[in-house]
Amino acid sequence: MKRWRGPAALSLATLLLVACSGQRPVAVPENTSSAAPSGPEKGGRLVYGLSADANGLNPVTDQFAAQSYSMVGTVIEPLVTVEANGEWKPYLAESLTPNETYDEWAVKVRPGISFHDGLALTGDVVKANLEAQKASPLNNAVLVPVKSFELTDPMTVTVKLSQPWVAFPYYLAAQIGMIVPPASLRDPKTASLKPVGTGPFVFKEYVPDSRMVVTKNPGYWRDGLPYLDEIEFRILPDSQTRAQTLEAGGIDAMGTTRDEDITKYGGQKDAYSVHRAEGMAVPEYMFLLNTAVAPLDDLRVRKALAHALDRATIIKTLRGGLTEEADGPWSKDSKWYADGGAYPDYDLAKATALVKEVEAEKGPVTFEIISTPDPNTMQGIELAQDMWRKAGVDVTIKQADQADLINRAVTGNYAATVWVQFSSPDPDGEYIWMHQAYSKPVGQVSLNFTRLRDDKLSKAFDVGRMNPDESARKQAYATVQERLRELVPFVFVDHLNTGAIITRTKVHGIGEQLLPDGEKGLALTGSPVPYHPFSQLWVSKQ
Amino acid sequence: MIILHRLVRLVIVLLVVTFLSYAMLALLPGDPVTQILGIGANDEARAQLRQELGLDEPLLVRYAGWLGALLTGDFGTSPITRVPVAAELAERLPVTLELLVAAQVVALGLAIPVGIAAARRAGRALDQVLTALSFALLSTPVFVLGVLLILLFAVTWQVVPATGWTPISVDLGWNITSVLLPAVTLGCGQLAVYARLLRADLIATLQEDYITLARARGLSPRRILWRHALRPSAISLITAVGLNMGALIGGTVIIETLFGLPGIGRLIVDSIFSRDYLTVQGGVVLISVGYVLVNFAVDVVYAAVDPRIRRA
Repeated sequence: MKRWRGPAALSLATLLLVACSGQRPVAVPENTSSAAPSGPEKGGRLVYGLSADANGLNPVTDQFAAQSYSMVGTVIEPLVTVEANGEWKPYLAESLTPNETYDEWAVKVRPGISFHDGLALTGDVVKANLEAQKASPLNNAVLVPVKSFELTDPMTVTVKLSQPWVAFPYYLAAQIGMIVPPASLRDPKTASLKPVGTGPFVFKEYVPDSRMVVTKNPGYWRDGLPYLDEIEFRILPDSQTRAQTLEAGGIDAMGTTRDEDITKYGGQKDAYSVHRAEGMAVPEYMFLLNTAVAPLDDLRVRKALAHALDRATIIKTLRGGLTEEADGPWSKDSKWYADGGAYPDYDLAKATALVKEVEAEKGPVTFEIISTPDPNTMQGIELAQDMWRKAGVDVTIKQADQADLINRAVTGNYAATVWVQFSSPDPDGEYIWMHQAYSKPVGQVSLNFTRLRDDKLSKAFDVGRMNPDESARKQAYATVQERLRELVPFVFVDHLNTGAIITRTKVHGIGEQLLPDGEKGLALTGSPVPYHPFSQLWVSKQ
Repeated sequence: MIILHRLVRLVIVLLVVTFLSYAMLALLPGDPVTQILGIGANDEARAQLRQELGLDEPLLVRYAGWLGALLTGDFGTSPITRVPVAAELAERLPVTLELLVAAQVVALGLAIPVGIAAARRAGRALDQVLTALSFALLSTPVFVLGVLLILLFAVTWQVVPATGWTPISVDLGWNITSVLLPAVTLGCGQLAVYARLLRADLIATLQEDYITLARARGLSPRRILWRHALRPSAISLITAVGLNMGALIGGTVIIETLFGLPGIGRLIVDSIFSRDYLTVQGGVVLISVGYVLVNFAVDVVYAAVDPRIRRA
C-alpha cells in the first residue's frame, strides 16, 4: 500500500484545505416550515440567480432586458411605476399632470431625494436625463411624439408632445424613465459598468458574466427600507445548473421560464415558493407571419395556419398544461382583453378547405419558418409543422440564432418565425409594433414586423393613445383585438405565464411591495423571465 | 535552425487563423447594429452606428486595420460593452488558465497511478476494470458528467458549490472549492486518454531488453518501474499533455457555461450571441496564440530531447 501514500496524502491535504477554508459556500439545512414569520426581518444577504448578464448597466446607452431591470433596478429608480391593477403611479416623480389636451405632461419631482453620490434629485437632472434618452438611438422611435422638455420650476419638467399621449407615463416606468446623476450622463462608459442612482441599494461590485453585488443604501429616501443588507446577482446561463444551484443552496432565488421548474418546485411548498407573472405582464407565444411576402400575404393562408394549429395539444405537450390558449396580445385576466370577434380556432376541415382553395388558384402552399436552435423552441415548431402539414401546408424549418432571427424580422427577410412579445402594462406599449406608420417594405427596417397595414387597427391604436376616456380606450383596443383576429398577422398559441421567480421559503416579500404613496405595487413584470423590486424583500433567519 | 523554421510556420498559422476567424465572423448572419441599438432604433441611427463601427468598409480593409492595431497590442474596444477587449480578456484569462491547469493536474494526478497499475497488471482483472472505466469516461460528454457531478457533490452531498467562482485573491479555500468540480469534469476525459497512453507505453517499455537486463541484475520491480521504465514511457504522455490543450480549451466553453465561471470560453460564447465581433476575434487570437505556442514549445522540447528530430 506504500506506493499509494503519496497520492493519498495529496488528496487528503486537498480535502483538508477545502475543509479548513472558512465558511463553505453551500447551504445549511434550514427550517422547512412554509409558515411565514410575523414580519420583515432586517439584514441578511440574498443570492439571486439570473439566466443572463446585462448588456451594460446604463439606462441611457444600453439596451435593457429583464435581467438588466433586476440588476440595475436595485440601484437606479424610475420616475413612474405600475400598481397592482396595472395603473401607473408616480415613483421618483411626486406627480405627473397632463394638460387638458394631453399633449403636455408636467413631471414634478419628489423632494428630498439624493443620488448615492450625494447630489440632490432636481428638475434639471430629470430634464437632462430625458433629453439624453430622446437623443439616444435606443429610444428615438418610441419618443418621436416628444417635441421638447422644459424646466418650468426647479422641481418640474414639462414634456411637450406633438400629439395627445394618454399613456405617456407608462414609458417612464421603464428604461426611459430611470434617472441617473449628471456624472453618469457625462461618462456613459463608466455608468455602463458602475451604476449610480437613488435606489435602495448602492453598487458594490460587477464581474461581467459572473456576478453583481449591491449593498444597502443607509440614506435611502423611503424610511425603513431596504430590509436586506446585500444582494448578489449571480449569472447562471444554464437552466439546469441554475436549478441545481438553488437546490444545493448556492442561490436563494432564481428566474425561470421552464414549466418543469414550476411543476417541480410548486409541488415542494415547504421548501420553495413559486411566483408567476399575471395579467398584462404575461407575454404571448406566437408565430409571426410576414404579411408582405407570398404565400402569407394571402389572408386565407394565414387563417388556415391558425385553424390548423391545435393550441390545446401544444400547451399539453410543451407546457405541461400550465398556460392558457391565446387569441390576442392581452391575456384574459387583464382589463384590456375583449371577447368576441372570431379568432380562427382549431378546425382542421376549415384549414384544409382554405388551403385547397388557395392551391387551386396559386399552386402548392409552402413556406419557411425560422427557429432558434434550442430544443424547446424546435419541439414547438416541429409540432406546428406537423399540424400544418395535415392541412396541406408544406413548411420547412430553418435554424437561426437569436441575433439573426431578430435581424430577419426587422428587415422582413422571413416568411414566418416563432416570437414572444406583448408584456407592456398598457396596450399603448404595443403601438410601434402594430401601427401601420411603422410598417415598411421588405428590405427596410420595420418595427411592425408583420408589415400589416390596416387602417382600422391603426386608427384604433391612435384613439387608444389620444383619448383619455377609459371606456373609449377599451373600445379602441377591442377593435385592435378584433382586427388581429380577422387579419391574423400573428398565429397566437398561448399566454406564456411560465415565466416565474422561484425562491427558497426563507425569502419573503416578492409581489408584496407597497409604493411610496401606499398602494400595492405590481407583483411581477417583464418577459421572458419576470422581474420585481427588491427593496421590500427580506430573508428569515430562523 | 529548427526553431527558426518552426517560428516561420507559427506566423503563417497565426495569419491564417486570424483571417479565417475574422472572415467567418463577418459572414455570420445577424447584425451587430441591431444587437447594440435594439429593435426599436430607426434607419438613421443604424446607418450612423454602422459607419462608426466601420461595418460599411470592405472585409479586407477591416481585417488589415484590425491586424495592424493588434500588432501594436490594441485589441480594440467592444462596441457592446464599450470596454477594451484586452482588458476583458485579461480579466477572464486567469479563470480559464486556472481551470486548464487544475484540469491537467487532476488528469495527470489520477492518470499516472491508474496507467501504472494497469500496465503492471496488463490483461488481468484490474487492468480490464480500469480499461472499461477509461472507455466509460472517454465516451461520456463533459456536459453529462458535469451535471452528474453537480447532482452528486453539490445537490445530494453538498460538499462543494454547484456553481460560481471565487478568485484566489479573495479566498484560496473557496477558490479551490469553486474550481474543484469544473476541473474534475474537464480533466476526466483527459485522464482516460493519458492513462491509456501511459499504460500502452509502459507495457512496451517493460518488454525492452534493458528492462530484462535490469531484472536479471536483481533490481526490485518497483525500482525498475519508477527509475527505468516510467521516464522513457512518459515522453509521449508529455507530448499529449501539450497537444490536448486544444481539446481542453474547447471543453472550457462548455464547462464555464455549465458551472457559471467567468472565463474566456464564456466570454467568447456570449460575444458570438451578441455579435460582439471584436471580443470574439480577440478571444480566438488569444487561444490560437496560446495553442500554437504550446505546440511550438512541445516541438522545441522534443527536438532537444530527441536528436533524430533535430537532424530531420
